[in-house]
Amino acid sequence: MDAFRVIEIKQSVYADNNAEADRLRGEMKNSKTFLLNLMSSPGSGKTTFLKRTIGELKNDLKIAVLEADIDSDVDARAVAEAGAEAVQLHTGGMCHLTAGMTRQGTETLDSENIDLVVIENIGNLICPAEFDTGAAANVMILSVPEGDDKPLKYPNMFSVCDVLLINKIDVQPYFDFNVDLCTERVRKLNPDIRIFTLSGKTGEGFSPWIQWLKNAVREWQVSDRIQENALMKTRH
Amino acid sequence: MHELGLMAEIVDKIEAVAKENNVTEIETLVLDVGEYSGVVPEYVEECYPAVIEGTLLEKTALKINVIPGKARCENCGTGFAVKGNENCCPRCGSQKCKVIEGGEFVIKEIVAR
Repeated sequence: MDAFRVIEIKQSVYADNNAEADRLRGEMKNSKTFLLNLMSSPGSGKTTFLKRTIGELKNDLKIAVLEADIDSDVDARAVAEAGAEAVQLHTGGMCHLTAGMTRQGTETLDSENIDLVVIENIGNLICPAEFDTGAAANVMILSVPEGDDKPLKYPNMFSVCDVLLINKIDVQPYFDFNVDLCTERVRKLNPDIRIFTLSGKTGEGFSPWIQWLKNAVREWQVSDRIQENALMKTRH
Repeated sequence: MHELGLMAEIVDKIEAVAKENNVTEIETLVLDVGEYSGVVPEYVEECYPAVIEGTLLEKTALKINVIPGKARCENCGTGFAVKGNENCCPRCGSQKCKVIEGGEFVIKEIVAR
């Protein structure tokens, strides 16, 4: 009988997903579609935030939303009423979204005619941070009631995002959320992250965010190059 | 949390590798799991018996090498352990540091015949 031998494999478990993500990003670049991966905890106010964002942009951009949350809190109808096309993804109870699942969503869209696709990722701050969805930018929402200590508890998520939105800023007087302390904690993990404080409910602080998003979409559509985002920098 | 799905993927990959190499028996599967890979070694071990059931790896032992987190300061180039330094260079205090090891989740090798 043959003796045992060592077969070296040395393959990253994330390699296939990374390759698929890069492919999808390239295709989105060709069709001039900005794919935005939105991550947060459940209850962070994503629905209200998304509806307002869509409302502010719908005259300038054609928008679609890919709904991945298992325990979805965004009603597809509510998103449609706000002015965007909504697609429900079938994630089969997974705790994160992969590039392959994202593709299933984008393939149902007429992406040649869509400027912005928002992926509403699964609501948790752990698993989605590990998987590149193929998005151009990764954005997370942290809401005031969740607390300013979240960067200490979920450092990975804060490291892979290009933008942090501190939401529900209208209720800050009722909580001991310290924006400066939170900002300091986040910058320690990710010095280049953009931070906006806003309220999806009242619209407070929304215009700098909308301006950033408009610029990011425009830049994606006019430049030939795919700029490396924060998640791509941390990929293994 | 996502260990089960990842392990199922690994089993598929190993079965493909085994086929390519005309392997009939796999004694050990060796994984490198970085301290900061987001993968919890205990969870991997816990779900392992379930994912190998009925596969070529049914009798395969699992060995996990935990890879400690290492970072390099982008300002002064110092390499240091992530643990205890909180992404802050112990030499110059810069916060522009890059994790260079400990983020990986890699199928290292199999011992087979």
